[in-house]
Amino acid sequence: MMLSPDVIAILVLDALFLLFGTFAFVLSLGIARHFDAHSFHERQYALEKKALLVATIIQYIFYLKLPLFLFFIFTSDTISNLITGAMCAAGVVNSVDFGLLLFAFKIINLYLFGFWLVLHTLDLKNETLPYTRAKFSLFVLFFFFLVAEIFCDFYFFNALNIDKIVSCCGTLFSATSTSSIRFIFELPHPILLSMFYGTFALHVMLFFRKDALGFLLVNLFFIPLSILALILFFGTYIYELPTHHCPFCFLQKEYHYVGYLIYITLFGGTFFGISASIMSLADQRKTYASFYRYSFYLTALFVAIVSAYPLLYFYRNGVWL
Amino acid sequence: MHIKFNTYLLAYALNALYRRGFKSFFTFLMLSFITFLMASILIIAHAIKYELSLTIDALPELTIQNLQAGRHQNISLEHLDTLLDIHGVQRAIPRVWGFYYFDNAGVNFSVMGIDTFDHQTKEHLETMVTAFDFEAFVATPSMVVGKGVQRILNENYYKDYFNFITTEGNFQKVSLAGVFDARTSLESNDMIFMPQEIVRNIFGMHPQEATDIVLRIANKDEIATIITKVKALYPSSRIITKEAMRVSYQSIFDYKSGIFLALFLVCLVTFLMIVYDRASGLSSEEKKEVGILKAVGWQINDILKEKFYEASIIAFSAFLCAIIAALFFVYTLQAPLLRDIFTGYSVLKPTFVLPFVVDIQMLSVIFFLSVPIYMAAVLIPSWKTATLDADEVMR
Repeated sequence: MMLSPDVIAILVLDALFLLFGTFAFVLSLGIARHFDAHSFHERQYALEKKALLVATIIQYIFYLKLPLFLFFIFTSDTISNLITGAMCAAGVVNSVDFGLLLFAFKIINLYLFGFWLVLHTLDLKNETLPYTRAKFSLFVLFFFFLVAEIFCDFYFFNALNIDKIVSCCGTLFSATSTSSIRFIFELPHPILLSMFYGTFALHVMLFFRKDALGFLLVNLFFIPLSILALILFFGTYIYELPTHHCPFCFLQKEYHYVGYLIYITLFGGTFFGISASIMSLADQRKTYASFYRYSFYLTALFVAIVSAYPLLYFYRNGVWL
Repeated sequence: MHIKFNTYLLAYALNALYRRGFKSFFTFLMLSFITFLMASILIIAHAIKYELSLTIDALPELTIQNLQAGRHQNISLEHLDTLLDIHGVQRAIPRVWGFYYFDNAGVNFSVMGIDTFDHQTKEHLETMVTAFDFEAFVATPSMVVGKGVQRILNENYYKDYFNFITTEGNFQKVSLAGVFDARTSLESNDMIFMPQEIVRNIFGMHPQEATDIVLRIANKDEIATIITKVKALYPSSRIITKEAMRVSYQSIFDYKSGIFLALFLVCLVTFLMIVYDRASGLSSEEKKEVGILKAVGWQINDILKEKFYEASIIAFSAFLCAIIAALFFVYTLQAPLLRDIFTGYSVLKPTFVLPFVVDIQMLSVIFFLSVPIYMAAVLIPSWKTATLDADEVMR
C-alpha cells in the first residue's frame, strides 16, 4: 500500500464519490420507479425535489472527476519513479493485473457521466421532462460502473508494490513476440494512416452535413482508431524513435506534457461529437450546432497536433522514420 | 451542461455572505486554517525531498559495504584493484568514516577521513580539500568541522582543539583548522573532516581497511552489470545504488507526510461535520430570504446555483489565503515547530534553509483535499435550503 499524499487525496475523493454516489443511487431507484410528470401526488412533488439533488450530486462528481483523472495519470507518472522498471504510467498501470481495466473504466465513466449531464440538460429544457425516468434509470446502471472504478482504484493502490519489478512501456508496446498486443503491429502504416485520415475526412464531411447517425458512428470509430494510430505511428515521431510506441510517455515533462493536450482534444472532440449526435437523434427538432462545432474544432486540433510531428520531422531531416 | 457565469448572481452571493458576516467569516477562517496546516506540512516535506535529491545527485553511483553475519564490517583495501579491473568502473575510492559520540553534549559527530591524494567522493569535498592543506594536517593533527559541530565545541569550551578518545583510551588532540559550510547544510552540519590516518587512529582501524568503498561509474546503463559482477566476486557484500537511495528517501518522505495526512483526515472529517451542521441550521433570517426569493420568482435551481457561488467564494478564497500563508510560514519563517516532524530530534539538528520549490502536483493535492471537501459538506444543506417551501418559510 502506498500512503503518499497524492494517493490519499485520490482515495479520499473516491470515498466521497462512493458516499454521494450511493446516496444518489438510492434516490434514483425511487425516481426511476415512481416518477410521473403528470401526477399531482405529494410523492411526485418530493421526487422532483430529490431529482434535483441527484442531478446536483452527479454534476459534483463529474466536474471533480475531470481534473481528478488528469491528476491520477500525473500521479501514476510520479509513482513510476519509485517502481523498479517502470518508466512512465504504463509500467505502473500494468504492474497490477487489472490496471488497464481501471484505466478503461475511468475513461468510460467520464464519457458516461458526461452523456448523463447532456441528457439532463436536454431534459430540463423540455417542460414535460420526457427523459427524467430514463436518465435516472441510466444512473442506476452507471452507478455500478462508478463503484467498479472506485474499487479498482482502491485495489490498484493497495496492490502497488515498490519492490516488484514491472515491465517498462518499451516492452509492453513493442512488436516482439512477448508483447500481448503484438498482433496490431502487423497492420501496415499506409493502411492505418489512410483509415485515420479517411475517418477524419468523413468526420468533416458529416459535420457539414449534420448527419447525426453517421457522426455518431464516425466518432465512436475514431477513438480506438486514433489510439491505435498514436501507438503505431504518431508516437514514434513524438519520441523521434522508431522503436518506442508507448501511448503514455508523451504525457511526461520530456515531451512538454503534450500528451495531455492530445488526449484532451481527442476525448473532448469525440465526447461532443457523440453527445451532439445523441441529442439530435433524441430531439429531431433541433440540430445542436454548437456541440457539432466543438467536436469539429477539437478533433481538427487533435489531428493537426499529431500530424505536425511527422511533418516537422520530415521537414527537419528529409526522411521518414 | 452549459455553465454560464452570472455576475449578478456572484454579486448577490457576495452580499449574502457579507450579510451573514460572522458566520461566513468563521467558516472561511476554519477552512483556511485547516488548509494552511495541511499545505505547510506538504510544502515542508516537498522542500526537504528536493534538498535531499540535490544531495543524492552528488553521490557516487555505487557504495560497497562488507557484511559479516548481516552486520557492517570494515572492508579490506585489497579489494580495490579487483574492483578497478571491472570494465566500466571509473574509480574506486575507499572511505574511512564513522560516528564519534561526544558524551558531554550527548551528540554524535560524523567523522570523515580525507585522503588528499585520492579523488574525493563528492564535488564539495573536492573544493574543501583545495581550500585547506590536508597534507599538513597529518603532521599537526587538525580538522575542518561543520557549523553545528563548531557551535557544540564552543559551548563545551573547546575553542581551538578537541580531544578525541581513541579505542585504546588515549587522547588524540586535534586542532580546529577551519569551519566548512557546504551548499547543502543538511548533510554538512554535523561533519568533521580530517586526514584518514587520524580517523583510523581514533577509531582503531587497521591501515589496510576502509569503512566502505565507493565506485564511480561513467555509464549509467552499466550499473546493473557491474553490480552482478561485484556480487559474484564478493558474495558477502552489500551494494547500495544511488537510485535505491533516491527511492528510499522519496518513500520515507511520502510516507511521513502520508501518515500525517492520514491522521489529519480525522480533523478534516470533523470540520466537514461542523460545516454540515452549521449549513443545515438555518436562521429565521435565511429562511425568510429563501421565501422572498421564491416569491419573486426564483426557482430551486437558481437558489442552488447561488448557494454554489457562495460555497465557491469561501472555498477558493480560503484555499488561496491558506496557500499564501503556508508559503510565508514555511519559507519566510522557516516553519517553526512543524518542520521538527521531518528533521528528527537529534541535538545536532541541521539548521538548513528550506529551498523554495512549489509544484503543481503538490498544489493539486492541497486543492483536492480542501475545496471539493468543503463543497461536499455544503451540498446537501444547500439543497435542503433551496427546496424549502415558500409558503412554509414566509408564514
